[in-house]
Amino acid sequence: MTIALHVDNLTAGLGELEILKGVDLEVPFGEIHALMGPNGSGKSTLCHVLMGKDEYYANGSAHVAGTQVIGMPVDERARAGLFESFQYPVEIAGVALGELVAEMREVADDPNEFDKRVARQAEALGMDRFMDRPVNMGLSGGEKKRSEMFQLAIAQPKVAILDEIDSGLDIDAVREVAELVESLRSPDMGVLIITHYSRILRYMKPDRIHIMLSGRIVRSGGPEIAEELEASGYDDIRRQVVAAEADGSAGAVT
Amino acid sequence: MFPLDRSTFDRAQSVRPQWRQPSRSAAFDVFEKLSMPDPKEEAWRYVDLDFDLADYSVPADAGDRVDRPDVIRNALGTTAGVAMVRNGVTTIESSTADVVFARLADAGPEHGTLILDAIPSDLDIFSAAHHAFGTDGVLLSVDRPISEPFFIDIEASTPGSVSFPRVAMTVADNASASVVLNCRSPHDTDLVVVPQIEAELGDGARLEVTILQNWGYQTKAIGQSRVVVGRDATIRISEVGLGADLSRLHLTVDLEGRGSSSEILGVYFGERDQTLDYRYFMNHIGQNTSSEMFLKGAVEDEALSVFTGMIRIEKDAQRTNAHQTNRNLILSDGAAAQSVPNLEILANDVRCGHGSTMGPLDPEHRYYLMSRGLDRERADRLQVRGFFEEVIARLPRQEITEPLRDWFNTKFVTAQAEGRVQ
Repeated sequence: MTIALHVDNLTAGLGELEILKGVDLEVPFGEIHALMGPNGSGKSTLCHVLMGKDEYYANGSAHVAGTQVIGMPVDERARAGLFESFQYPVEIAGVALGELVAEMREVADDPNEFDKRVARQAEALGMDRFMDRPVNMGLSGGEKKRSEMFQLAIAQPKVAILDEIDSGLDIDAVREVAELVESLRSPDMGVLIITHYSRILRYMKPDRIHIMLSGRIVRSGGPEIAEELEASGYDDIRRQVVAAEADGSAGAVT
Repeated sequence: MFPLDRSTFDRAQSVRPQWRQPSRSAAFDVFEKLSMPDPKEEAWRYVDLDFDLADYSVPADAGDRVDRPDVIRNALGTTAGVAMVRNGVTTIESSTADVVFARLADAGPEHGTLILDAIPSDLDIFSAAHHAFGTDGVLLSVDRPISEPFFIDIEASTPGSVSFPRVAMTVADNASASVVLNCRSPHDTDLVVVPQIEAELGDGARLEVTILQNWGYQTKAIGQSRVVVGRDATIRISEVGLGADLSRLHLTVDLEGRGSSSEILGVYFGERDQTLDYRYFMNHIGQNTSSEMFLKGAVEDEALSVFTGMIRIEKDAQRTNAHQTNRNLILSDGAAAQSVPNLEILANDVRCGHGSTMGPLDPEHRYYLMSRGLDRERADRLQVRGFFEEVIARLPRQEITEPLRDWFNTKFVTAQAEGRVQ
């Protein structure tokens, strides 16, 4: 069967600057993976390149539920089943969340099913009082993430990428967001959480963790990787990688 | 039709009450000395006046009704009074019993203090012509709070005509009124309109004036307006700019009374080769006065918008609070917006701010909306709607805002469909 997200040898960057240097990644349906890495490692670039932000160039492939999305306009990627929850959701004055939801309904596969999801999720996430308010305007960090989770739930994507889902949140909000993500776990969706810190992983159990350094995924493994990070930080992993690469190149020479 | 000359002036004098004649004579003398504005003049530097007032004539009668659907009047519901000024001739259709809501042409000497002549004849040739040749309009005088709106249709329809509609309003101490001015003309008719709108507010009075500028695409409208505001009184003026070939509004608000305040809203959409020119003067004269100007507009194709805003704070106007904001969306390479906010502050204890922006639709907003599955056209429509909504949501008379939203939306959708926006 197809996997939710399959990224294969993805390179990408801005102008002359190559940021992603060959990313390989698989997130199966029903699983939650975490992508971790220090600032500048390329995590957010990966998000935007997958979603199709137009200032980036990209080569290689990224399949969302079997559809190659690299080269598609942003909205077609969304309709192919990809959803990005933004690290900094833009504030759109004059556009109520309810209006955005109404427009999402217009492009939904099954508007009646969409309506049901909206009703159910608005109640579950307590979003009713935000429907008449401008999108993200004047919302706290936690409320913005909640609004993103609400939009995720009603979009019902095949792949959800949550960019820095825990940034700018106090500890209670982090726990709340983690519980929300766990509650959205579904056999029809793969989730990739992007995070700088391991603290959100105290409240949720990703199936796999990937470590990104300098535009590549250098380690993948189970939850134990988070514990390792907590103990010794990214520097330790970076040293291991550098040492391994040195060994590799020495081997190639001989 | 009568050309703008001595014989037409004499004809105008002959229908005027005698007490009005001397000041009109003086205005005609000014008119004879003035010529069309020089584009080098500061007041006209951004505007291409590609017509000569002398080529237009005063219509002989009220002429034909404008054959365009009128959604605003229907949306308004119950009114306190309805009047029509068509090709310079006024008809009062209905009125609340105990207010003066009358034809200016019928005004007797007892109404003399209600006719302000607040806009000087020598402002420019248009004002001089207005005072010399204009004979009719609407006189509104309110001495108690009235919540239902007065609706005044200002129409022009005679090809090649120039008309001079006037609306003169006085609101007595602690009285209040709301007035909706609906300006319309046919799209295919070349004509000129020079409306003057003046108001005087007594102490504690409140007046809201909503101007729907929906002139036809070949109309040149040179509007002039002045409001004098008394102690603790509040004026709210909103202009919705949708039509015309050239529409200019020269607005002066004098916050004379201590504690008086003013809220000026504007929302406009320039299409094709329209010019929308706003020249706003906010004079803080009394102490503790406050004002806000908030205008947002979009231009597409080869349209031009101009906002020149002047906040002047007199020496005695201490503890003034004044802000002006003008935001412009430039939707095509050929479209342009000029935004010139000015401050002139003679007092030392004031809070004052101004800002103007211009630029295309926000690509970050577009990206966000498209990531929710909206195609680019849909995402842009939503963004444009939001842009205007910030002003529309603040307009007085919320009952007419739904047709306004439709108009703005339709204009953008049409421009998208015809490939006039990027």
